[in-house]
Amino acid sequence: MLTVFFDLWSDKKRSKISSVKTFSSSCVFVRLQVVLKIIKHYQEEGQGSEVVQGVLLGLVVEDRLEITNCFPFPQHTEDDVDFDEVQYQMEMMRSLRHVNIDHLHVGWYQSTYYGSFVSRALLDSQFSYQHAIEESVVLIYDPIKTAQGSLCLKAYRLTPKLMEICKEKDFSPEGLKKACIGYEHMFEEVPIVIKNSHLINVLLLDLQEKSTVADKHELLNLSSSNHLEKSLQLLMDRMDDMSQDIGKYNTYCRNLSKQQQQKQQYLQRRQQENAQRQSRGEPPLPEEDISKMFKPPQAPARMDTLLIAGQINNYCQNIKEFTSQNLGKLFMAEALQGHSS
Amino acid sequence: MSRFFATGSDSESEESSSADEITPKATGTTFNKQFEELTNIIKTIRNAMKIRDMSKCLEEFEQLYRAFLKSKTIVDKEGVPQFYIRLLADLEDYLNQLWEDKEGKKKMNKNNAKALSTLRQKIRKYNKDFETEISSYKENPEQSAEEEEKDDIGSASSSKSDDDEGVTASKFLKGAESESEGDEESEDWGSDSVDSGGESEDNEGEAASLAVVFLKKYVAQDGDKQPERKKDDRRKRHKKMEQVDEEADEEGEGEEGGWEKVKGGVPLVKEKPKMFAKGTEINNAVVIKKLNEILQARGKKGTDRSAQIELLHALAGISNENNLGEGILVKIKFNIIASLYDYNTNLAAFMKAEMWKKCLECIDELLDILFENSNMFIGENIAEDSENLAISDQPFRVRGCILTLVERMDEEFTKIMQNTDPHSQEYVDNLKDEGRVCGIIDRLLQYLESKGSTEEVCRVYLRRIMHTYYKFDYKAHRRSLGLQGETKSEQDQEESEGEDSAIIMDRLCKFIYAKDRTDRIRTCAILCHIYHHALHSRWYQARDLMLMSHLQDNIQHADPPVQILYNRTMVQLGICAFRRGMIKDAHNALLDIQSSGRAKELLGQGLLMRNMQERNAEQEKIEKRRQVPFHMHINLELLECVYLVSAMLLEIPYMAAHEFDARRRMISKQFHHQLRVGERQPLLGPPESMREHVVAASKAMKMGDWKTCHSFIINEKMNSKVWDLFPEAQRVREMLVRKIQEESLRTYLFTYSSVYDSISMETLSEMFELELPTVHSIISKMIINEELMASLDQPTQTVVMHRTEPTSLQNMTLQLAEKLGGLVENNERVFDLKQGVYGGYFNRGTRTRPRNLIKDHFQIKINCIINVVFS
Repeated sequence: MLTVFFDLWSDKKRSKISSVKTFSSSCVFVRLQVVLKIIKHYQEEGQGSEVVQGVLLGLVVEDRLEITNCFPFPQHTEDDVDFDEVQYQMEMMRSLRHVNIDHLHVGWYQSTYYGSFVSRALLDSQFSYQHAIEESVVLIYDPIKTAQGSLCLKAYRLTPKLMEICKEKDFSPEGLKKACIGYEHMFEEVPIVIKNSHLINVLLLDLQEKSTVADKHELLNLSSSNHLEKSLQLLMDRMDDMSQDIGKYNTYCRNLSKQQQQKQQYLQRRQQENAQRQSRGEPPLPEEDISKMFKPPQAPARMDTLLIAGQINNYCQNIKEFTSQNLGKLFMAEALQGHSS
Repeated sequence: MSRFFATGSDSESEESSSADEITPKATGTTFNKQFEELTNIIKTIRNAMKIRDMSKCLEEFEQLYRAFLKSKTIVDKEGVPQFYIRLLADLEDYLNQLWEDKEGKKKMNKNNAKALSTLRQKIRKYNKDFETEISSYKENPEQSAEEEEKDDIGSASSSKSDDDEGVTASKFLKGAESESEGDEESEDWGSDSVDSGGESEDNEGEAASLAVVFLKKYVAQDGDKQPERKKDDRRKRHKKMEQVDEEADEEGEGEEGGWEKVKGGVPLVKEKPKMFAKGTEINNAVVIKKLNEILQARGKKGTDRSAQIELLHALAGISNENNLGEGILVKIKFNIIASLYDYNTNLAAFMKAEMWKKCLECIDELLDILFENSNMFIGENIAEDSENLAISDQPFRVRGCILTLVERMDEEFTKIMQNTDPHSQEYVDNLKDEGRVCGIIDRLLQYLESKGSTEEVCRVYLRRIMHTYYKFDYKAHRRSLGLQGETKSEQDQEESEGEDSAIIMDRLCKFIYAKDRTDRIRTCAILCHIYHHALHSRWYQARDLMLMSHLQDNIQHADPPVQILYNRTMVQLGICAFRRGMIKDAHNALLDIQSSGRAKELLGQGLLMRNMQERNAEQEKIEKRRQVPFHMHINLELLECVYLVSAMLLEIPYMAAHEFDARRRMISKQFHHQLRVGERQPLLGPPESMREHVVAASKAMKMGDWKTCHSFIINEKMNSKVWDLFPEAQRVREMLVRKIQEESLRTYLFTYSSVYDSISMETLSEMFELELPTVHSIISKMIINEELMASLDQPTQTVVMHRTEPTSLQNMTLQLAEKLGGLVENNERVFDLKQGVYGGYFNRGTRTRPRNLIKDHFQIKINCIINVVFS
């Protein structure tokens, strides 16, 4: 726990610097306590690909969101059906209010497994949060990366564009096309600043002085294949989904165009016939409801595809980051080896 | 009320029996018989009337009408019988009554009401023909009854007094009843149209009218006493049933039972406790006549079959006593056996033990006679009238087919075995009869070889084959091992002197191949021959025969029993291949049977429960009849184990070799299924069942750990469960160990070759306890087949890996690249479509470019990854 603590601390400094640079419209201030609580929650309950979730509490100050506290969703099995989550949350918040803690529900957090979190469930729940409180964020905590030596905590928000689409619930190809939304415009990352009271900062500095140096060999670990393999596996699974979706979309397009053709032909024939009738002096054929005759095929929902694309992008970013880091490490190792020999 | 009806039914019993009494016996037999039939029908009609079952009434009436027409000639001669007229009159009255009773009619169910109206119309029309008789009867019922009485006074006089007694008793009861029931009832009685005077005088008339009285009462009180009546009705019916039972019980003592009771069926048999009248000269003609007489009753309803058999036996005895010659004896024997077979009308039922014994004896005797009398001709095609049964200079000619009888006997034997619990002592006892059955077939075979046509010989050969093919010839086996020596007792020596079953099979089958003209017998013979070869591990003969016969192509057109035989043969072939160490062949042979998961059903060794709802009772019966008797079963666990082990030996190295191949196909689905089941287990204990053993062994083999694998496959549990079932268990086990070593070596090389730069063959040979040349040959084979990228370094005896196989990560990247290619292709197809219609690649903007971007990303990333991996 102590090493994590220090990691956090150094990380905090880094993120602070970077966030100052990109700070534009809004940012998220997170208390160290919250970060530690999230990590603790995962370490206690999450394992493997299991995901832990919880509620973030805080308040909105001017254009920034301050997250001051959090509490986990309890894990409950399928057996106890009568467990009421909403009830639990209300209870919890009431209790927290009694001890004078901010009780504004400003978002939620979730752990992730090799960076996979872009899913329909996340979209839906984040939408409902943001629908209620515009500034709500979702904190994504990646325990695996953290274990490798650098804290990985990211805050996401849905873009206004996506919010609109979700509001209209129009996920058809046309709807998405009109909204002109791509996978890169779905989520926006909000910079995080981990902020502490000065007292705590002082304590940290003090502790750093006192502590014997923790060995950070995780950072220098040269083995890469395991992590890469897992990521690739996940990536490939997504790819399969993607191909499937494209296949579906493809057939849909083909069906649609075929039908269009038929419709065209039908109309032409109709016209010809009517012209003939007119020349013979007969009344034209009655107008029929063409849309009824040619029902357009059911369009596949494209939102899932978008999400998959987003997820793939995510994986790619991860892998890229990982490989570039690893390359660096390898070069360094090579240099060291050359030096020693 | 209920009490009344209780007694009522009592008196009914009198009625019915007194009605039966009409049965006259004075006149000739045909007359007798036909009248008998009439009276029987009348009886049922009366019964039906009593329970107001109109549809039954209608049915019976139609039958009566037909029966009456049949006896027309006699009726013309003798005049219309009184009882017939009486019934017609009564029935009409009864129907009219019912008809008028609107209330009761409403309560009738639809069928009954319909039957009532039809019957009423019919009887009206019909009765017109007998108008005069009926009116005369109605005027003077007792007189006409009296007349009748006179007719059968001779036979019934003894029971007459009893009758009267009964009547008085019932009268008395009735009187008591009417008193207790009160005025209303007695009024009812009083208003009856029946002449009460006649009643007291004549039980016959009374009986008939009584019914009417009852019915009337019934009807009158219908309204308020409906439920009670129903109850009574039921009770009455019940009583009646009892009564029938009683009748059946008492039939032996019919004379003293007070009432003369008539047995349900045609009492032909009963009349003949003695075959012939005393003093009749017994000669051929008489006996044959008698025989025919007995046989006429055969197959008729109500014929007592066991009595018939007895009669035939008696007849045989008589003919024997009187030395009428073998001809007639043979004829009678034929018939005895036939009626033994007839004993069970139901095809599914099997013979009782005693019947079976009798049957065996009879056939044995018959064969004795046939062997003794070489001048006897039997055959199906000898016409009945060209038979020569008498002792004369000419040879006997008897109609009948001994082969059919024996075949039937064999089938009966199968049926008996099917219907016996295979785990009981009884089964063993029954199985002991197999020797006798075989003996009979053998004798028949000898007989037919000298006398029969080729077709018959083929048939009997097939029977013989069917009894031979599934038995393992231990004698021949021992002989081939050269084990027999001085240690054995004399008896054993004697035993081992018999012909090898292989030679017998060969001789019989070859005869059939050459001579048979029906396809079925040949097919069966081939299959049995293959089975026999396979059972005795003559793999090449079996396989060649199988391939030569081309049975695989058209077996699906054969009938189910042959298909079952085919399946059995295939399975046996597979097991044989396994024993001989031809794992691939074994797997192929067993694949079809095992992959369906219905091996049990396909081999005819039991029905599957889950199919229960898919088939009806009829089908189930048919399927049950197809089952193979237990002693011919192939052990299913052995079968599955052989299959799984051979699948393991093939699949595990294959899996190791193609670990990263995206398009890898499973060799055996079932095996994979078992593996998955094994993986799903949350807690892995030591293996219990055979399957678990194989799964555990597979896991060990995956790691190239042959010793563990070996200990899982061959241990005491598996020995007792599976391996000891083979005749040459030790050899099979040795073969298995070797196979496991070899395949483990291959698996090891596939799995871990990427770790080695070079590996010494000596080390490998030590690890897997194989000789160096074997290791050398295995590795060479792998190199030739390009399964292993390596070369052999001869002087140092090492395998040098080329390290060209990609690592798992590289493999994955390759897979990923492949997938990406697919994805891009798909994407392009979408564009094509769009371009075709809208012509706008760039119209799509945001939707399309990302994917191209993804592609670029990937390309970069893949390069990165590969760089990382190779650096």
